[in-house]
Amino acid sequence: MAETAPFLRFTNVVAGYGGGDVLKGVQFDVPQGGVTCIVGPNGSGKSTLLKTVSGLVKPRLGEIWFKGENLVGQTPRQILRLGVVQVPQHHSLFREMTVDENVELGAFLVKDRKVIAERMAAIREMFPIVAERASDKAGSLSGGQQRLVEFARCLMLEPDLVVLDEPSMGLDPKTLRSMFATIKMMNSMGRTVLLVEQNARQALKLSHTGIVLENGRVRLSGSGIDVLNNPEIGALYLGGSIEETKHAS
Amino acid sequence: MNAIALLNAAKDGILTGSVYALMATGLTLIFGVMDIINVAQGILVILGAYLSYALSVHLGIDLFVGLLITIPTLFVVGVVIERVFMARLKGPEKTAMSILVTYAVSLLIEGTLNTVFSVNVVQLQASYVTRSFSIGGVHFGFIYVAGFVMAAVLLSALYFMLYRTRFGVSVRASLADQTSAALVGIDVRRVSTICFGIGVAVTAAGGMIYGSTNAFNASTSYDLISRLLTIIVLGGMGSLGGAMLAGVSMVFIGDVVGTVWSPVWSTMSYFVVLVVVLLVRPQGLFGKQSARVA
Ligand SMILES: Nc1ncnc2c1ncn2[C@@H]1O[C@H](COP(=O)(O)OP(=O)(O)OP(=O)(O)O)[C@@H](O)[C@H]1O
Ligand SMILES: [Mg+2]
Repeated sequence: MAETAPFLRFTNVVAGYGGGDVLKGVQFDVPQGGVTCIVGPNGSGKSTLLKTVSGLVKPRLGEIWFKGENLVGQTPRQILRLGVVQVPQHHSLFREMTVDENVELGAFLVKDRKVIAERMAAIREMFPIVAERASDKAGSLSGGQQRLVEFARCLMLEPDLVVLDEPSMGLDPKTLRSMFATIKMMNSMGRTVLLVEQNARQALKLSHTGIVLENGRVRLSGSGIDVLNNPEIGALYLGGSIEETKHAS
Repeated sequence: MNAIALLNAAKDGILTGSVYALMATGLTLIFGVMDIINVAQGILVILGAYLSYALSVHLGIDLFVGLLITIPTLFVVGVVIERVFMARLKGPEKTAMSILVTYAVSLLIEGTLNTVFSVNVVQLQASYVTRSFSIGGVHFGFIYVAGFVMAAVLLSALYFMLYRTRFGVSVRASLADQTSAALVGIDVRRVSTICFGIGVAVTAAGGMIYGSTNAFNASTSYDLISRLLTIIVLGGMGSLGGAMLAGVSMVFIGDVVGTVWSPVWSTMSYFVVLVVVLLVRPQGLFGKQSARVA
């Protein structure tokens, strides 16, 4: 029997920004339907890896297979059309536009007004903040609220794969919990999630797969629990408590 | 002090300033979307003026009718400059490199214009260019009023495009953050090219009015570009509203100081205002604070 095409597969991905290589041959699979969490020290190339998925950084070598298509060389727009969306590490809402306009932009590639209206209605139900603050400028929302609106926006395309780069950055503990709950909800709706997290302990707990990236290479991979319980990794990246792993800035 | 003189200064500020505002809007649009400082904008205004000149002198085409040809022509010139020279600029040094590259483009156009039209100064002529009328002691030159109306119409059209069309949404998103725009599926490359084209196309209109109200040759572009650059710096790099307000203020402040005090201080006065504003608000009147960080 032929092996079925993997959902998302990185094969020997080498990428950088024109200087030295940041990713030095990254190789791993993201299974369909689960939550895959990438952890690793600052500057290890986590964001760069996610940027290669969305076509923001073009790998110098290697391939990224998504449902049988190579994403390398495709534009961010083409990759969105294939069903891959990303919420980047920095806040990406358009601050001068309203919450409504921002969420609608999530469906920029959808031409049918009726479809957009239907999805907007569903999103408003799922994310009450979108309905409550509909006509407020996105820039007037708190950091946590902006993250939720970014989540809402990325779901407007009804993606198969949701890529999240450190969604918990800068959130207080309460917002943090509701954010992780939202990720679980997205996943239970059938979206595969690939995320990078500094709150490694919490994130790995809800992840099916864990990947440790170090200095541009995969250092370790396995089930979320295995990675969490690996003594070496625990000491290196997870620290004694969640508090200690939270990064400053 | 003389109220009529002040009214005249205000009138000049609004009429002439609006044309500067239009030309500066092109510059700030290009910077806002692409982080490119197009120092060729001055010579492109002169190119626009020369195109109007050639059409009117050699083909007898009216200056305003000629805009139907010169505006699309300069749009195409802008698109070509963007595709050939700008598309290659990347990385953290992009803005600095863009100054050098557009300066090279500027010299190229300047040399060509000097060869084709010689260095003798010319001015655009039409029966209505020198016509004027007066309301309550304030004197209005027809061409200045026409320039104002045209600038107002074109700027309104630009605002309509930005705030009422799908393309406008993609421009505003690209103005705010290119990466975020790309991540919702906006073709930032295409938006950049079209914006560069629009930013350059407005110089055709600006150049026609400028060339009707001033004698010019290719080197006039240096005075123009320094004015346009200070306008967008005062208004805030990338801010369209800022460019308009600063364009009008530049002429208004210069005229008021020139009338009330002495013409000697006229040009300098604007720079004094500029320096004071920048000391208080380094990002200009409406500049983005640090939206481009990270
Ligand atoms: N736009 C860029 N241009 C040049 N170098 C970059 C750029 N972005 C990141 N880098 C470099 O690439 C390396 C990896 O950065 P990356 O952002 O991928 O790390 P990260 O694992 O996401 O770190 P963090 O946990 O701080 O988000 C770093 O050394 C960084 O300085
Ligand atoms: Mg990162």
